[in-house]
Amino acid sequence: MPRAKANIWSWLLGFCLLVGLLVLPQVLSYSQREIAVLLIINVLLVSSYRLMTLTGEWSLGHVVIMGVGAYASALFSKRLGIPVPISMLLGAASAGGVAAILSFPLFRMKGFYFLIGSFAAGEVIRLIWKYFTYPFGGPKGLKLIPGFPDIGSISFFEPEIYYYLCLFVVAVSLFVLYRIERSRIGLTFHAIHWQDKLAESVGVDTFRYRMLAFVLASFFAGLSGALYAHYIGTINPTRFDVEEMVFVLIWAIVGGTVTFYGPIIGVVVLTVMNEVILRSLGFDTARPMIYGGILIVSVLFLPDGLESLIPKVKGWFSGRVKKTGEVLEPEKSP
Amino acid sequence: MTELILQTVVNAVYAASYMSLIAVGLVLIFGVMGVINFAHGELYMAGAYTVVALYSQVGVPFFVTVVAGLIFVGLLGLLMEQSFFKPLRDNPLGGLIASIGFLLILQTSAVLGFGVRMAHIRPPTQAKFELIEGVVLTHQRLFVIIAAIVLLSLLHLFLRKTKFGWAMRACAQDREAAALQGISLSQISRIAMFIGAGLAGVAGALTAPLVSPTPYMGHSVIVTAFIIIIVGGIGQLEGAVVAAVLYAFVHTFVTTFYDGVVADITGLLLMLLVLVIKPTGLFGTKERA
Amino acid sequence: MSEPVLQVKDLSRHFGGLIAVNQLNFAVMPGAIHGLIGPNGAGKTTTFNLISGFYAPTSGQVIYQGRDVSGMKTAKLAEIGLIRTFQGTTLFKEFTVIDNVRVGCHSSARSGFIGRVLGTDREVEVHATAKAEELLEFFSLESMRDELAANLAHGHQRALGMAVALAADPKIILLDEPFTGMNPEETTRMMQLVRDVRQRGITVMLVEHDMQAIMGLCDTITVMNFGSLLAEGTPQEVRNNPQVIEAYLGSADHAA
Repeated sequence: MPRAKANIWSWLLGFCLLVGLLVLPQVLSYSQREIAVLLIINVLLVSSYRLMTLTGEWSLGHVVIMGVGAYASALFSKRLGIPVPISMLLGAASAGGVAAILSFPLFRMKGFYFLIGSFAAGEVIRLIWKYFTYPFGGPKGLKLIPGFPDIGSISFFEPEIYYYLCLFVVAVSLFVLYRIERSRIGLTFHAIHWQDKLAESVGVDTFRYRMLAFVLASFFAGLSGALYAHYIGTINPTRFDVEEMVFVLIWAIVGGTVTFYGPIIGVVVLTVMNEVILRSLGFDTARPMIYGGILIVSVLFLPDGLESLIPKVKGWFSGRVKKTGEVLEPEKSP
Repeated sequence: MTELILQTVVNAVYAASYMSLIAVGLVLIFGVMGVINFAHGELYMAGAYTVVALYSQVGVPFFVTVVAGLIFVGLLGLLMEQSFFKPLRDNPLGGLIASIGFLLILQTSAVLGFGVRMAHIRPPTQAKFELIEGVVLTHQRLFVIIAAIVLLSLLHLFLRKTKFGWAMRACAQDREAAALQGISLSQISRIAMFIGAGLAGVAGALTAPLVSPTPYMGHSVIVTAFIIIIVGGIGQLEGAVVAAVLYAFVHTFVTTFYDGVVADITGLLLMLLVLVIKPTGLFGTKERA
Repeated sequence: MSEPVLQVKDLSRHFGGLIAVNQLNFAVMPGAIHGLIGPNGAGKTTTFNLISGFYAPTSGQVIYQGRDVSGMKTAKLAEIGLIRTFQGTTLFKEFTVIDNVRVGCHSSARSGFIGRVLGTDREVEVHATAKAEELLEFFSLESMRDELAANLAHGHQRALGMAVALAADPKIILLDEPFTGMNPEETTRMMQLVRDVRQRGITVMLVEHDMQAIMGLCDTITVMNFGSLLAEGTPQEVRNNPQVIEAYLGSADHAA
């Protein structure tokens, strides 16, 4: 009975969230809508990053992989004239493909070595964009990337309309990411994280599963890159540098990576804080410092991220019964 | 052509000198504390801006500012140790992430204090040696080379001959065993952090007149330092020096005779190659478990 | 009896200058409980790791069901029915008991990627869960189904470790020091479990350095010392072998 009740609440919450997301552009200003579009793209980026971390490996190349999707999709549409919706998918697939190739050197490493290796691999890719003016445009990058084509009189040039497109794409992607995690694939990822030797002993090919996590995460990171490229219309190697990666790390760490929603909370809270509070205070140049401070403080004092606060909040709402129960328990033990 | 090659050798020796100072500091911190200091490039930057502030703006004699750079950045290192490395001792990833936070703080401080533009520093001396015709070594670069040799020799003596040095090496071998022998991990970590950060600060201060500091100069420095410590073997002080020389020569020659970006790519590929083939580094001895 | 299910031929493994296993030969017959014993440092664990694919042999062969599997990867070996367990309580401690065993069902619960995302793998998973539950019952762990593995008592964790291995459908199971750190009562229960496993038609090979614990359990015992074969035979034969007595007396405290 309590379970059914909880279910109703979560359905209600989900419904409110959906309605809220759908009406959101209507209550925002033009520039806020642009931020909302980028926020949704970043939600996909950080959620895909979390999938990667399930196997226990932390990459520093994820933003570059996003860039691979952005570059590939931009090039497919700009240079080969492939329709943008298809080139976006091809861009995402290219990011997955690059990850598949990178798996061979990178998954010979673990932990810290993987971290540095992924960083190095990402830098190599970025330097390649920088070095080859054709086709990558060199340090100035690619400009005049075709936008998403109009459907009838609906123009995706408008942030409001592009917001709905992103919302749809990201919602579908999040559903897929969620299903992957809840399936045996997710169970196997976690198993590799906690005890890779034991997983191997019952027949799990850990290399293949690490590669699968990397490729899937990269596909969705690439998709977020493609959504970004065709919205902004211009990309360059600096847009995907390690500073951007630091932001993804901050979102993930501040939000927490244990739950599916942790990193999403992280990116939403920090973006809102960044855009609403800090911008209104006019701390523009000081913002990275504040981010840095938040990162240190959250690693020190909130090691499990904002997500760890959710059960507590739930506890307040579920009334006094549980609360008193919690108070009673320690009294039992001497 | 011969002049160009010789000049490139001189340049590479100079590059190897300041790279060794940076990489050895990073390795020392990793060896003793088991944590990667991502803000190491920004410590170098802080050393450079010490010179900008004291030498360029106030007019303090250059060598005094170099010592000030060592002490100031060493103290920054202590601040890092006390504020987050120490509380996160059992969480190396947490320590690394926190150091990224500190990186942002240092970078933004430099932007707020000095602006984003390059700070041009009038070199304390314009004098130079002409080794042979067409091959030049400026005094400023010579200072860097001498300082690197002197400081690294002193560090070597410190590690080999003093009680603290012995304790530090014991910690690098096995921290738990060292603690059981009565070595104070906190004290040794503070010393390692001060020395490691201070070396980066000295490197930044000495090279400041040669590189025109910007708040973002730390990025390429940390990439270089990573390449060196991986190639040399993480935790290997001597390996770091040898790898710094190797990398400096490769990078300088490829830059001179080909292209800077290609030189960067070459360095990164060298590191990836080492990571794949021998993750303990070219000079690492520990067998992979 | 027929062909051996597992056989090692002239198996050697060197670590630098150290010879951990030297020209080892033995055969495990189907349906047997076969012990591999020897004093500490005799090379038992290395042999075990060679058979289960953690190391590749320096020379020699591992033959499983008539097929040379030397140097084959652990996961591949598991797929064809050669499963090992680990010393101590190596488990997915952060998982529930049932999820531990479900991971063990990896090889039999196959489904495509699309199926996983769309949920059409339900039938496979229902089957896997049923199998996991049956195994929990077999090891009397069903009451702890939804507990975290980390919260289980030591003896239960050991049993769970075997349940995970059994879920992978072994033809032969390699137990790594299953009795270490157990009190007499737990040891008795574990011995019964090993016999029950054999009753399921699974060949058992186990490594122990405590000779007494497995005397009453094994059909055949292979004794190693200094990386080489020292003796082989029934428990009775091994117990009375002067060389074996010498080796154990010589290595300090195992005489009692």
